[in-house]
Amino acid sequence: MAKILRKRNYDAVGKTQEILMLLPMFIGFLMFVVYPILWVLRWALYDYGGYGAPIYIGFENFIRALTRDNKFWLALINTFYLAVMKLVIELPLALALAFFVNKKVKGSSFFRVVFFLPTVFSVAVIGLVFTILFSAYNGMVNAFLSFLGLIKENINWFGTRFMSLNVVLVVSIWSTFGLNMIYFLMGLQNIPKELYECSMLDGASGLKQFFYITIPLLAPVMQVIILLSLLGTMKITDLLLVMTNGQPGGQTEAVMTYIFKFFFGYGSNSARMSYGYGSALSIITAVILGILTVIYLKNSQKMKDV
Amino acid sequence: MEKKQMKISIRPARICIYVFLILMTFICLFPILYIVLDSFKTNSEIMVGGVGLLPKVWHFENYSKAWKLANFSRYTYNSLYMSLFIVLGSIATATVEGYIFSRGTTKFSKIVYGMVLASLFISIGAMSLYPQLGLAKMLKLNGTLWGVIVIHVFGMNATQAFLATSFINQIPKELDEAARIDGCSFARIFSSIIFPITKPLIATIGLISFRDAWSDYLLPYVFTISKPARMPLVVGVVNLKTTGIAASSWDIALAGISISIIPMLVVYLFLNRFFIDGLTEGAVKG
Repeated sequence: MAKILRKRNYDAVGKTQEILMLLPMFIGFLMFVVYPILWVLRWALYDYGGYGAPIYIGFENFIRALTRDNKFWLALINTFYLAVMKLVIELPLALALAFFVNKKVKGSSFFRVVFFLPTVFSVAVIGLVFTILFSAYNGMVNAFLSFLGLIKENINWFGTRFMSLNVVLVVSIWSTFGLNMIYFLMGLQNIPKELYECSMLDGASGLKQFFYITIPLLAPVMQVIILLSLLGTMKITDLLLVMTNGQPGGQTEAVMTYIFKFFFGYGSNSARMSYGYGSALSIITAVILGILTVIYLKNSQKMKDV
Repeated sequence: MEKKQMKISIRPARICIYVFLILMTFICLFPILYIVLDSFKTNSEIMVGGVGLLPKVWHFENYSKAWKLANFSRYTYNSLYMSLFIVLGSIATATVEGYIFSRGTTKFSKIVYGMVLASLFISIGAMSLYPQLGLAKMLKLNGTLWGVIVIHVFGMNATQAFLATSFINQIPKELDEAARIDGCSFARIFSSIIFPITKPLIATIGLISFRDAWSDYLLPYVFTISKPARMPLVVGVVNLKTTGIAASSWDIALAGISISIIPMLVVYLFLNRFFIDGLTEGAVKG
């Protein structure tokens, strides 16, 4: 009897300790993750610019965003463009590199270190560096191209929407392909070697092995990588703020940078702060992201079952 | 005969692979080389442009100018200060989270785990910055880097928590039971058994949080908008561009950028194995 009592007491102490240990982090989580979500939900219904009395306007902010704000939709299209193009270019690149580096290429550990290197630096600083490299008059890229005789006049890389978006795309790929390569590498290393040996006996060659063994077995990893990459690009902020800041004429804005400016302004455009409207846009974006995630997870379930 | 043929058919492919890998190496290294080499040029040499990578004369004084005039000593100090506390704090909170999510038995910890998981899918990223700033104002943490530190440490970084959980899940439960029989309490098991044997996890979390802290831009930017003396390096460097100073003095800007990337470069080159291993573990298992 006494033993049982002691055990109960012991468990109770353990449980109290458990709750006490987690409590600080839980409070932090409530404050810095849950509270901001609730804050955004509430102020989306108000016209509020930080000073003066907030005015309750119901769903007016949402109506404005959905019907009258072309710039928001342009920003959304830009973001989708970046996300999709990134997937199309970056993942095959990362997979190929992982594949080569995984095979016994000479100096493969050197290549791993180098390809991961860009991922180490701050995206904001990377943005700054590439702005200098791509600058129209004294940029290294233009100098290089004309040195090779490929162009006669300097290209103004940030002059048109199409051009700047693609420069951003290139830089964004530069800054993250190493991480995806490492993810793929990890997936490749988990594939049992016996499978390759068996298929070799059955007469499968390099390419066949790649398509019938490597790709299917990588599918579960691929599912995670695609989702992370999609969501990551949808949240692109620092890079765009630093590189184009929406120039020319707000045409290269991404969703997050567009919303960001309603809260903080940035650079020279600080005149349009509107917390209520920014909140409404945040909710719309969060819902779109949520729907995308759910659709993707449902449709890619097959990948996990392989 | 057959063997010889195979060798011939494989060689071109091999060469292609090497050309491709070397090209990618060049693309990866060029911008970094460019920054470091150009940071020794004079401003006019940079402004003229051209393809010459090496400076005609090495101007080391760009660094002392950046260090003193553009106040990079202050920025570097701020960055180090902020990163140190974020790293220590993240290690402490992430290991505790991992331990509790892995070993905890109360409903409370299960509910919290579910909430953190759910938050990954409704994360609102840059949009939560404003309310976070408001909270920091209420706590009188605005205008200092402590707001950034507290958010980083206590904001429950889901990735780090999951990484720690999956790591601690792999530690055999028999260890806990043995300690329990010896009279260790729940908290004691953590401090004297689990925490000491999570060294690889601690190294990984330390590195990841160092990288996040050192390269973070938006959060410290928002917290130090009106307080240049409190800016960390990354914010200070980018600020050079937006204030228009960099347009006229790229030498200083590039020296500043070098100061901001060289510590990361050194840390990465020395510890790259931890770095890469840690990230892959978090991604695939977490």
